[in-house]
Amino acid sequence: MFCISGKWLGAALLGAGLNLGVAQAAPVEISFYYPVAIGGPVTKIVDDLIARFETANPDIKVKAIYSGTYSETISKSLTAFKAGQPPELAVMLSADLFTLIDEGAIAPIDDFIKTDDDKAWLAGFSPVFMTNSKSEDKTWGIPFQRGTTVFFWNKDAFKQAGLNPDVGPQNWDEVVDFATKLTKRDASGNVTQWGMQVPSSLTSYWLLQGYVAQNGGTIANLSGDQTYFDTPEVIEGLQYWTDLALKHKVMKPGVIEWATNPKDFFEGRAAMITTTSGNLTNVKANAPFPFGVQMLPEHKKRGAPTSGGNIFIFNGTAPEKQQAAFQFAKWLTSADQSAEWSIKTGYIAPRDDAWNTPAMQAYVKEFPGAAVPHDQIPYLVPELSTHENQRVARIIDDGIEAALTGSKTPAQAMKDAQQEADRVLKQYR
Amino acid sequence: MSVSALPQPLQSREQSFWHALEVLGCYLLGALWILPLLYAVWMAFHPAGYEVRLDLTAPLTLTNFIQAWNAAPFARYFLNTFVLISVILVSQFVICTLAAYAFARYDFRGKTLVFMLVLIQLMIMPEVLMVENYRTMVKLGLVDTVWAMGLPYMASAFGIFLLRQAFLTVPKELDDAARVEGAGPLGVLLKVYVPLSRPIYVAYGLVSVSYHWNNLLWPLVITNSVSTRPLTVGLQVFSSPDQGVQWSIISAAALMTSAPLLIGFLLFQRQFVQSFMRAGIK
Repeated sequence: MFCISGKWLGAALLGAGLNLGVAQAAPVEISFYYPVAIGGPVTKIVDDLIARFETANPDIKVKAIYSGTYSETISKSLTAFKAGQPPELAVMLSADLFTLIDEGAIAPIDDFIKTDDDKAWLAGFSPVFMTNSKSEDKTWGIPFQRGTTVFFWNKDAFKQAGLNPDVGPQNWDEVVDFATKLTKRDASGNVTQWGMQVPSSLTSYWLLQGYVAQNGGTIANLSGDQTYFDTPEVIEGLQYWTDLALKHKVMKPGVIEWATNPKDFFEGRAAMITTTSGNLTNVKANAPFPFGVQMLPEHKKRGAPTSGGNIFIFNGTAPEKQQAAFQFAKWLTSADQSAEWSIKTGYIAPRDDAWNTPAMQAYVKEFPGAAVPHDQIPYLVPELSTHENQRVARIIDDGIEAALTGSKTPAQAMKDAQQEADRVLKQYR
Repeated sequence: MSVSALPQPLQSREQSFWHALEVLGCYLLGALWILPLLYAVWMAFHPAGYEVRLDLTAPLTLTNFIQAWNAAPFARYFLNTFVLISVILVSQFVICTLAAYAFARYDFRGKTLVFMLVLIQLMIMPEVLMVENYRTMVKLGLVDTVWAMGLPYMASAFGIFLLRQAFLTVPKELDDAARVEGAGPLGVLLKVYVPLSRPIYVAYGLVSVSYHWNNLLWPLVITNSVSTRPLTVGLQVFSSPDQGVQWSIISAAALMTSAPLLIGFLLFQRQFVQSFMRAGIK
C-alpha cells in the first residue's frame, strides 16, 4: 500500500511540475462559490460579470458555482476544503470570519497586495466594512455584498393618521408615538394595521445590535471572544424592542418572520417596518403606495449594524490559482463593478469611489432612497462576529425570542444568554 | 371506509355513532393533509396580490410557472434528478437484495456482527459523514458526477434490513421445493424470494425515490455544474431570506418539480397503499 502511494505521489509531483509548465499557455481555472440570498436573476448577473472579466483576462477562467444559501455555502466550502479540494474563492458571511480562521481555511489578503494599485484598491473600502474583515492586523476578507438595516414607512398610512407623510420618526420616542397613532383596530378590537414591525425570526441579534448601538452600547468585542449581552445598554435596547409589542401594543406580538415582513408592509398590515437595505429594490418594485425610507431612528445617538458577504480566498490551492483568484476578486470589487452589483442587487457598495461613478450617481438621482444606506455608513457598527459564530448567534437569538414572546424578561433572557456564550467562548480567551 | 357505509341492522345506535365519528375524523385528517397542497395550487395560479386574499373571482394566471421555469435550467435538472434516482434505485435494489438474502438464509461466521454493523449505519445521519464522503469522492475522481451524489446511499442499511425481514417470512418449504426442482441459489432468490416480496420493493422504492427527489444538501455540496445538479438545487434559488419570499413563484416551482411524484402516486395509489400496509412502513 505504502509503495503504491509513493508511486502515486511521484506521479502527482511530476504532474504538478508539468502543469506549471503548461500554465503559461493554458488559462488558469478557478472556482468561485457564491450564495444567493436575494430575489432576482442573481446567477445571470454573476455569469454576465464573469464573461466580461474573462474577456479582459483571457489567461484566467472563472467557474461560477451557485452554492445555495449562506449557511449552505460555508458547509460546501469547508467540506470541500477539508476533503482537500477547496474552491479558490467564495462569498461567505463576513461574520463567519473567525470560524474560517479557526479552520485555517482562508489566506490573508495582505499576501497578495503587491503594487501601489493593489494598495489603493484595498484602502478604498469604507473602514466599517473592514472591521469584520480584519483580525490581528491582517485582512482576511474583501467586502463584497454588504448591507445594513433601514427604516421604511407607508406615506398613505401617515396621511390617514394625520402625520406628515414626508418625515419619518427620528427617535425612539417618536417611533412609539407614531406607531400608536398608526395602529388601527376594528370594532371588535382586532388589529388591522400594526404601527411598527421589526423582524425577529433568524438572526434577530442583528436588529438588536441596531438598538444597542443607538443606546451607546455594543454586544461583543472585536476580537470575537467576549460578548456583552448582560450589559445595561443591551438589556435596555431589548426592553425597548419588547415594549413595542408587549407594553405599547403597537407591534405584532411574538416572532415576526423576515420573509413575510415586507409583504405585511405591502399589504398595509404594517405601517412602518425595519428591514435590510437589500429590500430597497424589492420595496421599490412592489409597494403599491408611496413610501419613505430613512436611517434607523436614533436614541442616544444614531447606529445600525452592517451585514452581508465578503469574498474569501482559500488556502490549499496552487499559488498561481490563488493569485488569479485575487485578481478576479479585485476586479469584482473595484469601483465600476461594485457600483453595478449594488444597483442590480440592492446591496451597499462598500467603497466611496463606487458611489462616485457616473452610473451610481445617475441611479441615486433617479431613486434617492438608494442613498440612505450610504448616508448611514458613518454610524454603522460591525455585525456580531465571534469564534463559533453560529452557536453564539443562536444563543442570543433564542434569548431575544424568549423576551419577545414574553417567556422571560429581557434582563433574565440576556443574563442567561451571556452565561451560555461565556461557556462557548471561554476556550478562545 | 366502504365497510362503515354499509347499513347493518344488528348495529346498535351507539356503534353507528362511533363509525360516523371515525369517518368524520378521517375526512378532517384528510382535509388537514391536503390543505397545504391546495393552498400552494391557489398561490401558484393567481397573481402575487391574491396570496392571502381568497377571492374566488381572482384572475387565473400562468406567469408564476413561466417565471419559475425561467429562473433556473429546470429541464436539465429534471433529467438529472431522473437519472440520479434511477441509478440509486437500481443499485439499491441489487445491493440490498443480495445482502438481505445472505443475512436471511445463509450462515457464516460473524454474521450477527456484520448485521449489527449494517444496523449501526441506520443510526448515523448521512450529514455527519459529509467531509469523509467528499474525501472519498475526490480520491475516486468522481466529484461533480451523478455517481458522487448516489454512491453514499447505495448500500442502504434500511433497505437491507427491510428486505431481510421480508425474506425471513418466506416459508423455508418454498425455498426447499425450488432447490429440489433444481434451482441454484440465485434462481431461488429471483424465482421465490423476490416475487414474494414485491410489496416490500414497491414500498421501499417509493420511500427511496421520494427521499432522493427531495435531497438537497449532499447533492449541492458534491456537485458544481448545471449538467449534474438535481431539481432541489434549482428550487433553492427561490429561498431568498433577505428579501422576503415570493410565495406564488415558490408554489409554482414546488408544484412543477413535485408534479411527476404526485401524478405517479395518484396513478399507482392503490398499489402503494397496499404495499405500505403489508410492509408496515408508515
